Amino acid sequence: MFGLLLWKLLRSNRGRLAVALVAVTSGATVISALLNLQFDTERKLTQEFRSLGPNIVISAQPTSGAAIPGSGQTAATTPALMDDQTVLPAVQGASAQNTVAVAPYLYFVARIDQTPVVTAGTLIGEAIRSEPTWKLTGHLPTGDPRECGVGRNVARQFGLSSGSQFDISYTNRTEHLTVAFVLDAGGAEDNQVFVDLQPAEGLVGLNGIELVQIRVDGTSQQVSDTVEKLRQALPGYDVRPIRAVTQAEGNLLDRTRLLIASMIVLILVLTALCVLATMAALAMERRKNVGLMKALGGSISRIVGLFLAELGVLGAAGGLIGCAAGIVLSRWMGERVFGASIAPRWDVFPLTIVLMVGVALAGALPLRLLGKVKPAVILRGE
Amino acid sequence: MAPLVEIENLRKEFGSVRALDGVSFNVEAGEWIAIMGPSGSGKTTLINILGGLDTPTSGRAIVDGTDVARLDEAGLTRFRAEKIGFVFQQFHLVSYLTALENVMLAQYFHSTTDQREARAELERVGLGDRLDHLPGELSGGEQQRVAVARALINHPKLLLADEPTGNLDEANEQLVLRLLRELHDEGHTILMVTHAPEIGALADRRIDLAHGRLAHAPARV
Repeated sequence: MFGLLLWKLLRSNRGRLAVALVAVTSGATVISALLNLQFDTERKLTQEFRSLGPNIVISAQPTSGAAIPGSGQTAATTPALMDDQTVLPAVQGASAQNTVAVAPYLYFVARIDQTPVVTAGTLIGEAIRSEPTWKLTGHLPTGDPRECGVGRNVARQFGLSSGSQFDISYTNRTEHLTVAFVLDAGGAEDNQVFVDLQPAEGLVGLNGIELVQIRVDGTSQQVSDTVEKLRQALPGYDVRPIRAVTQAEGNLLDRTRLLIASMIVLILVLTALCVLATMAALAMERRKNVGLMKALGGSISRIVGLFLAELGVLGAAGGLIGCAAGIVLSRWMGERVFGASIAPRWDVFPLTIVLMVGVALAGALPLRLLGKVKPAVILRGE
Repeated sequence: MAPLVEIENLRKEFGSVRALDGVSFNVEAGEWIAIMGPSGSGKTTLINILGGLDTPTSGRAIVDGTDVARLDEAGLTRFRAEKIGFVFQQFHLVSYLTALENVMLAQYFHSTTDQREARAELERVGLGDRLDHLPGELSGGEQQRVAVARALINHPKLLLADEPTGNLDEANEQLVLRLLRELHDEGHTILMVTHAPEIGALADRRIDLAHGRLAHAPARV
């Protein structure tokens, strides 16, 4: 009988309830679209920021390590070196599964045809993986330590391209290298030569690296967790996140979350007000039937329970329809506004439906008036 | 055996207006009582109190051993569901429920619904072919017969009818009165408010009210 009464109630007031349903559906559409956008853009932004490159850097404490011999620099300005045989295994041990690349760097100024060129000794494969924005022309190193990469400005200056061979020298040592690729990074790397760490150390004449750049995928929190683990594994070293990226990401995500949460609260309040207005009108219309039901022995909790169930159905139906429409809306907004495809998040469905049922029930406040209905007064027609 | 209804020095005041002023009488089980009197004499107030729709200011109104004046809201609700059947002048059917569903609504609030029993009750009042009609599709007399079926479905101890023929034409009035007579013959206890002396004459007893007081309460005829 409860189900029958509920069905008859919904049918008999379909005009008024349709207004409330439109309000709930509209609210649910915008809310589910915003939630979809928030969840997916959060994921996308994290990916985008991660794709900008390394986000953790390890270097020696200023007082530790050894100076590069023959560099001609004073002790105060000479960068300290770290023992790569100590640091790299420790980094590998402490890194999480989401570590994409660990690239050690030893920088020095070598000469090509007597022209000074900034040279970076590194593990070239790791360096490429840590810098996804680099554009390479040529081929990846095949494992031969004499293969190198050159920045596009260096390539232009010395007439180098993939397959070219040239000599590079540092003090009185010289290496004969083959160009595997020309690099276009749009930055300082375009003026550098990237040499495998082993010949670089041979040129400089010692074993050591100046810094390690690490690229970790994941949220700001995951990056911070990895930084903490690395600090514990390398207590004598300076391990720090590249703040410009992680803080920008955190700030942007925080602002986006706040904006979307504010909009959701506003929409929920407006939807509740609309349902409230509809229910206030319905409560007035239903006073006579409520009076009659009370006269027939219906308790107010049983009678109001019927009306609350009606609102629950309204909220759930509006929420469900709104969710489906919201996914379409979020895809459209993603493509038109943000230029990115937004994948539907199915966990938005239950969240939106629960929110809309809650809002619909919050709109049931006028039903409290029905508790005060005196059947004798109502049935007299007053 | 104790009377089914015992009313003792019943008073009801609405602000400064005294609707009932020291009314006392008894009703035996199976009696058909006509409560009569001019407008404002307290007839409807009296049956509202007896039906648990209103509470007295003072005095006692005992129905089947229950003092209505002492019941709280929840107690009054159960009292109405279990002991009272109402028939109103305005029928008061739920407009979006069929005749059958209107009868089942009373069952629902009493305990559990039984469609077969509800159908039998409607057949008894001659509406076996109108089960699935909405109130708007029924004549006044048919609507009142649905109301009678609804009032009887939970086997109440007391049937309270407030001007049950007041909104009916001559033919339908006779139909409803014949129905009430049948119910009386079956042993139902009926308290009926009416203005019309010829309808009041059908009852076992007349209780006349004037200005909230008992004007005339003859013994059983």
